[in-house]
Amino acid sequence: MLACLSPRRSIALLALVLVGSSATAQSGNPKTAAPASNGFTTARGEWPSYTGDARGSRYSPLDQISGANFSSLEVAWRFKTDSLGPRPEFKLESTPLMVGGTIYTTGGTGRAVVALDAVTGALKWTHKEDEGPRGAAAPRQLSGRGLAYWTDGREERILYVTPGYRLLALDAKTGNLVSSFGTSGAVDLKTDIDQEILPDLTTGEIGYQGAPVVGRDVVVIGAAFREGTAPKSFKNNKGYIRGFDVRTGKRLWTFHTIPKKGEPGYETWLNGSAEPAGNTGVWSQVTIDEDLGLVYLPVESPTGDYYGGHRPGNDLYGESLVCLDLKTGAKKWHYQLVHHPIWDFDIPAAPVLGDITVDGRAIKAVAVPTKQGILYVFDRVTGKPVWPIEEKPVEKGEVPGEWYSPTQPMPTKPAAYAKNGTSIDDLIDFTPELRAQAVQVASRYKLGPIFTPPVVSKADGPLATLARGPTNGGSNWPGGAFDPETHTFYVASSNAAAVVLGLVQPSKDRSDMDWVAGSAAPAGRGGGLGGGGLAVQGLSIFKPPYGTITAINLDKGEIAWQVPHGETPDAVRNNEALKGLNIPRTGQAGFTVGTLVTKTLVIAGDPQVTTLTTRPRGAMLRAYDKKSGAEVGSVLLPAPISASPMTYSVGGKQYIIVAVSGGPYSGEFVALRLPSGGPQ
Amino acid sequence: MTRRIRVAILTSFGAVAFFAGRTGSLNARESVLAKTVWDSVYSVAQAARGETAYAKGCARCHGAALTGGDQSPPLAGSAFLGNWNGQSLVDLQQRIKTTMPSDSIGIYDAKFVTDVVAFMLKANGFPAGDAELSNDDATLKDIAIRASRPAPPN
Repeated sequence: MLACLSPRRSIALLALVLVGSSATAQSGNPKTAAPASNGFTTARGEWPSYTGDARGSRYSPLDQISGANFSSLEVAWRFKTDSLGPRPEFKLESTPLMVGGTIYTTGGTGRAVVALDAVTGALKWTHKEDEGPRGAAAPRQLSGRGLAYWTDGREERILYVTPGYRLLALDAKTGNLVSSFGTSGAVDLKTDIDQEILPDLTTGEIGYQGAPVVGRDVVVIGAAFREGTAPKSFKNNKGYIRGFDVRTGKRLWTFHTIPKKGEPGYETWLNGSAEPAGNTGVWSQVTIDEDLGLVYLPVESPTGDYYGGHRPGNDLYGESLVCLDLKTGAKKWHYQLVHHPIWDFDIPAAPVLGDITVDGRAIKAVAVPTKQGILYVFDRVTGKPVWPIEEKPVEKGEVPGEWYSPTQPMPTKPAAYAKNGTSIDDLIDFTPELRAQAVQVASRYKLGPIFTPPVVSKADGPLATLARGPTNGGSNWPGGAFDPETHTFYVASSNAAAVVLGLVQPSKDRSDMDWVAGSAAPAGRGGGLGGGGLAVQGLSIFKPPYGTITAINLDKGEIAWQVPHGETPDAVRNNEALKGLNIPRTGQAGFTVGTLVTKTLVIAGDPQVTTLTTRPRGAMLRAYDKKSGAEVGSVLLPAPISASPMTYSVGGKQYIIVAVSGGPYSGEFVALRLPSGGPQ
Repeated sequence: MTRRIRVAILTSFGAVAFFAGRTGSLNARESVLAKTVWDSVYSVAQAARGETAYAKGCARCHGAALTGGDQSPPLAGSAFLGNWNGQSLVDLQQRIKTTMPSDSIGIYDAKFVTDVVAFMLKANGFPAGDAELSNDDATLKDIAIRASRPAPPN
């Protein structure tokens, strides 16, 4: 059993020395450079990177925890993050690392870093930074998604980005700053970025809450901004992406996600609009192919999530997958998933690297899950789509000043795994009354398929385009998981995240944008129907399932199975309007569901709490048979599972850690393992 | 859930207090709360003030229609109601007051937050009444959020 192979720290360190020596001797040779984790891998029961490895896999071959025993998991230890910041945090999104018997994670409202004993959860060290006004003004607050581990076989370092956008290197053994890195252990990410961050270093908008990723001694850092549906200005700082020397903190390269004048792609911003435009960063996770020496960037939207009239043109590299040389930052290829982005699709998740076989041909692939519920799959060496992507004509909108792309790329395979449009047929029909009410609510909006553009909000209709996918639909930052044994990709998604794409002209003191998100009519538009927002009688106007997990075979480009994920919400199960009806499990809407794949299981948590007559209030962590999608076990947790789970093995025992938080429940890591004396 | 698993989980969390009064249904906890959000606990005028406040201070991240952003949870619908079902309004009010807005925490006073809560109640379809929702903790503590309308007493 693989869990039995879990290395004791002494053995691991011996291996490190051996591998590390080799790597040092061969540094500079890209064919043989050792991985950042230098011998620590998921194959050995570790979890040395945010997604398990630098490839976005979220895969571990551990098999001690199986379908036969999952429901008997017990709490090994718990770690509450309340005291890591000035106040409790209710949005804990970090996935910890486990290396050499130590857990490393961010936590708390000030984004502290802690090291914990992997067996007991006992605190080894804490590192906190007080960034004062700069931290308080950060566009991406709280504990973030995690951190990175690096070793050369001698030194071990933890790297993370503070809310105030500084890259820190910590000694993994002590938590102390590594004085030889940057300036006394820190690199100010608001400087040396090929632009002046405005208005000043304290309040200048740019940050990052993702986990850094390291490969071949290069640490790659993303860039993020405030939510952008109603920005204060069409001008903003630019989300350039940089690679740094993991030993010294020296900037090695900068990739201009908005090209500078004279660079390819500048011409896609008409009227020189690349100059004022900003954002276009990578707020999600970067992935790295250390063998190929390539880095993959999932680039977000330019400034103005729903209105792009200040940036006419296709706006490269907005909403593009960009492949760079890891050592130099030179662009190898790019593919724009959405031209002239005006739907806030971003690219929200880590591109996942997988080696697949299509029609007998081996392909090194990269797969990108999206808010639009479409998995885009490319040859990651050439950038060519694995299955054809066709430019399809799309509707041209009528918002004054807007520029519209006449076509958008639409993959022919795999089929969309989440709902990404709206139509009358999508509305609930549990009862004729509910159907009629849903139709009445929907009648105030413009419905249509994916890429139906935003509209000017009018009180007498349409209030907005009613969409599913934009902003928080489909898949979001937790992304997916790839099984290298079966070449199957697993991803959670939401079908019920209704988003309204309505635009209003802001007052000049609020924004210099011509149009921002807003509504011409009061919100709380339940219309007297006993349900608010886009609901009737407390029910989403859209048919279930509200959330699913999908398995996609990447050799075939086909969906292998799809199941509703999440208990039927209380508001549905106890709904008077549904009394007497037999409603199958609906799953739950939510964008915090991450998948973990092991030797036999796909594991994911419910994003909402429920209360059943058969158990206390809480949220379930569920295990599915990865071949069939059948649910084979579950355990109750006290709050929504708010981050992607991870797994590791120490001392012959497999553990799963999940972060829970939400509603009134503050952040907590819960480590689960099988009972003593249980199956081994 | 089998008895064994349930016992295991309860034991593991060691959280008798955590689950106390919550086993089986919400009713055990709610039974000690005087009211629920279905009891017309805010006024139309207050919700209107709250809507203005929301547009100014909250919509940027949580959306004009309370549908949430890609970093911010929705404040209406089942995802919101599920996670707050069975909790008291003081929990919600305190959560907002002590964590929002995330880049300038603490700038919203209790009245501002309570008005926003009134607007959120309206947006989630809970009925308005004649009286305003008080921002007094003790009052808010006695009002339960409940996703579905309670059955009328027998």
